[in-house]
Amino acid sequence: MKSAGSLYFAGVDLGSTMTKVVIIDGDGVIRARVETHTGAEHRRLANRVMEQALKQAELPFEEITYVIATGYGRINVPFADRQITELTCHARGVTSLFPSARTALDIGGQDAKGLKIKDGKLTNFVMNDKCAAGTGRFLEVIAKTLGLKLEELGDISLKSQNRVNISNTCTIFAQQEVISRLSEGVPVEDIVAGLHEAIASRAVGMLRRLGIEGDVVFTGGVAKNKGVVRAVQENLGHQVLVPDDPLISGALGAALLGKEIAFKSLEKGEPLPKKERRLAEATFYK
Amino acid sequence: MAYFMGIDIGSGTSKGVVTRDGEVLAYHLLPSGANYRAAAEKLRAELLAKAKLSSQDIAYTVATGQGSASVPYSDGQVTDIRCCARGISKIFPSARTVIDVQAQSSQVIRLGERGQVVNFVVSEKCAAGSGRFLEVIANVLQVELEDIGPLSLKSKRPVAFTTGCAVFGESEAISRVAEGNAKEDILAGVHQALADKISTLVERVGLEKDCTISGGGALDIGLVRSIEEKLSLKLLVPPQPQLVTALGAAIMAEEMAA
Repeated sequence: MKSAGSLYFAGVDLGSTMTKVVIIDGDGVIRARVETHTGAEHRRLANRVMEQALKQAELPFEEITYVIATGYGRINVPFADRQITELTCHARGVTSLFPSARTALDIGGQDAKGLKIKDGKLTNFVMNDKCAAGTGRFLEVIAKTLGLKLEELGDISLKSQNRVNISNTCTIFAQQEVISRLSEGVPVEDIVAGLHEAIASRAVGMLRRLGIEGDVVFTGGVAKNKGVVRAVQENLGHQVLVPDDPLISGALGAALLGKEIAFKSLEKGEPLPKKERRLAEATFYK
Repeated sequence: MAYFMGIDIGSGTSKGVVTRDGEVLAYHLLPSGANYRAAAEKLRAELLAKAKLSSQDIAYTVATGQGSASVPYSDGQVTDIRCCARGISKIFPSARTVIDVQAQSSQVIRLGERGQVVNFVVSEKCAAGSGRFLEVIANVLQVELEDIGPLSLKSKRPVAFTTGCAVFGESEAISRVAEGNAKEDILAGVHQALADKISTLVERVGLEKDCTISGGGALDIGLVRSIEEKLSLKLLVPPQPQLVTALGAAIMAEEMAA
């Protein structure tokens, strides 16, 4: 039998906006991580991102003991052995990054989630995936209106001296409001800071409904935005923990759960419930 | 001879009506643009020219709508809810429920036997309940606004929208186009989504017949049919649904001057 260190596990997090793949070894050490934009063709993409991760880890696909898919597009990962919801995977990933975490905020491309975690397990959650306001999509739409790149927003907002209050919740109405403020000559940084405050106050309101306990971890693509992180901290009244790479907690959690499932089977001497899988291109467009 | 003016500065379109003894002498519509004050001034000039009157001939002007505070020549302001109720009662005295679908909001008003406002509910926080949702999707499909209604009536299999958000709806429409769905089926799906939202507003105020529809949304025959189907009734549609609130404002002007 192979030693634990030479077993490998992959987590594939197919989000609405970004796809993330993490490969870990049997000791839980990250061997590869890849992040890329999710296109319209999930299945073909999942396959391509996995190949990139394998190349980074210098492993053939057959060496991967177990593959867990998670995220909004998890059913579109034809080579996964099992699907697990992103909430469970996030809770696992967040706990491995910050063992002290009891509350997690994840703001992704099309949703925002609040998680309560105890002993590494998810105990409760709240979620908004019904409305673009309060998600990364809100920032994306407004960045486009302002002619800015998404990744520029954070630094720009930190220059603000006089934050604007954005009165509309709806992304579409806020977009118009931003155009009006621009035409009034309001500096861009004050507008962007106002948008960050809008998204942060919604997120913290969501967390308060859930009940904030212990250390708060902030993950998801929006956690890369320093302006939003600052606004979230101001709303909470204390610091939040942000991983070096806020995007991978779901994929990392998926890989870790895969490892745990596999080790449990090995301990009992049972065969792993593997699917017949192939790393082939699949597409639903002819 | 006394003349009265009703000015309705909406978020999308500005509407104006000149009346005498409750009868419409002239009306005009123009885009509100970014400057409501300029729109209001231009609207008055056009109305006076059409009615062949000067500003001194107007005894009283009531302003209403989102930009009602930006009408420098108004003698009074009245909410668009009251003006809409007054206008629809003038056109359809039997009306007890009005569905007013505007560019950026929808509202449903319950009327009493004398046309007075008994109850109302407004949806203005979210673009998905308003004409704006249609505008967003029409833009994706590259369909002119006035073509939406007739085109959607050709739909055989309306596409079901899984989201209630106009921003997510836009992405969904793009996906449906990529999958090869016909424009008319996507538009019919938007109409159903809007009709669902509007029918929950109707439920909240309580439906009583006759039920009427006003505002720019009433120009969209596909939306009208979808709401009729959802509520299982026939809607009374005024000949110029966008002017209802401005007409109501002019009638209020006559009453306020008396």
